Amino acid sequence: MRRLLEILLGRSQPPPARSEGLIALSNAVVTMEAQLGFRPGEEAALVFRLVDSPYFDRTSQELDELAALTAKEAGTGYRSEVDRYRYRWIILKDPDFEDVLTAIHMLAQTIQEQGFSEQLLAAVFRFTSPQGEAFYWVYQYKRGRFSPFAPRGDQQRDHALELRLANALRRELPVEDELERWFPLWGIPF
Amino acid sequence: MTYSMRRVTKWSSDPGLATRMLLVMGLLALVYLGFIAVLVSSGVDTVAVLVIAVLMAGVQYLFSDTIALASVGAKVVEPRQEPELHAMVERLAALADVPKPKVAVVDTPVPNAFAAGRSPRAAVVAVTTGLLRTLEPREVEAVLAHEIAHVRNRDVMVMTIASFFAVVAQLVVRWLTWGGSWSSGRGRRGGSGLVVIYLASLVVWLISFFLIRALSRYREFAADRGAALLTGSPSLLMSALLKISGVMQRIPDRDLREVSELNAFFILPAIKGSSFFELFSTHPSLERRLERLRALAREMEGV
Repeated sequence: MRRLLEILLGRSQPPPARSEGLIALSNAVVTMEAQLGFRPGEEAALVFRLVDSPYFDRTSQELDELAALTAKEAGTGYRSEVDRYRYRWIILKDPDFEDVLTAIHMLAQTIQEQGFSEQLLAAVFRFTSPQGEAFYWVYQYKRGRFSPFAPRGDQQRDHALELRLANALRRELPVEDELERWFPLWGIPF
Repeated sequence: MTYSMRRVTKWSSDPGLATRMLLVMGLLALVYLGFIAVLVSSGVDTVAVLVIAVLMAGVQYLFSDTIALASVGAKVVEPRQEPELHAMVERLAALADVPKPKVAVVDTPVPNAFAAGRSPRAAVVAVTTGLLRTLEPREVEAVLAHEIAHVRNRDVMVMTIASFFAVVAQLVVRWLTWGGSWSSGRGRRGGSGLVVIYLASLVVWLISFFLIRALSRYREFAADRGAALLTGSPSLLMSALLKISGVMQRIPDRDLREVSELNAFFILPAIKGSSFFELFSTHPSLERRLERLRALAREMEGV
């Protein structure tokens, strides 16, 4: 009913983020490592869209302060960059995967609390396959689900690996089941 | 803190626009109901008329993407051919929570873009090579966001349904104009009944024409707003619109006419009329679109 009204009136806001699915990764990472041999990387990132607004600038500032504070207290490394499509990446680095996950969740929570939930695009977690290749779990905030991403060079993906891991982790992770929504993120900076 | 959540969520809605949209839709529904009443009471074989109209509208609706692409000579491009375009569309689709639409390119110097397809799942967004040449990448993205907002709002479906009985009325008028024998041959009703139906259809066609155009303009405003919020920047869409319209005025006429049939789909119509004729137009005037975007930008800046 609400959706019908939205269609009729042509609602313009992007949908809000759903963050509840993210935390499932803290269990899945054990299966990834112990069972499948995919080591979690030390880095992970939160990706969100910039907004031309002083309100958003203040939120950004707050995120920076929060990340710097975490860096000081838990020893989590932190850097930030804006990509060519005008999305900002906050990249956290910590040997303890649990710490990275918690920090990402906290930053996303802050964005949501400031009312910019619509801007959240994804959280990206890197893994390394037993063969030493990169594999990413991309948490899509609008769906509240994870999609696999195994980039191989220029615009190529290892679909077989993606399907394999999506299938293997299905019980533990809210994996996106519509294949056409397995969006790639080219140029992940880690 | 001064930057509360309320402040932000307010950007998303435009109650004035929503009210006007509902009003127009309500009026359309009234006109259409009246039309059905006239058809039924005057003893026309309403069911047959409706079946034909449903078939016509249905075909157009189901194949709207194919029809639109074919009629302007748009070619669907793969990620490998246009990696930048695809990357932009993918991210915008993920932000807007719609499946990734197909991406097509039209080879014409006229800078423009359109969206088509009956549902988000079958949607396609197309840009012209002129657009890619004229605009900077981030402005192209703003235009893509406008088209994705159309997809998300299911504008093809809404407009198809909204104009359904207008099509029926148009059909009836044509039939009666061309061959009165179609109905009078059956000898069921005299000439006066036919005149009533003819006049009713004509009036419905006329009124619904303006209502549908108004609805179309409101949906353009909504898509503009959606694009501004999706990209987080009204000014990018503003500069894109300004550049497109600037180039449009300098492009030779022949090209303009070539693409004019598809006006309703485009981000900017190819033929420009004066603002007096806005009543007849599928798109609001550039000035009014910019004014809306400026107002939104001011709100976002908090000034």
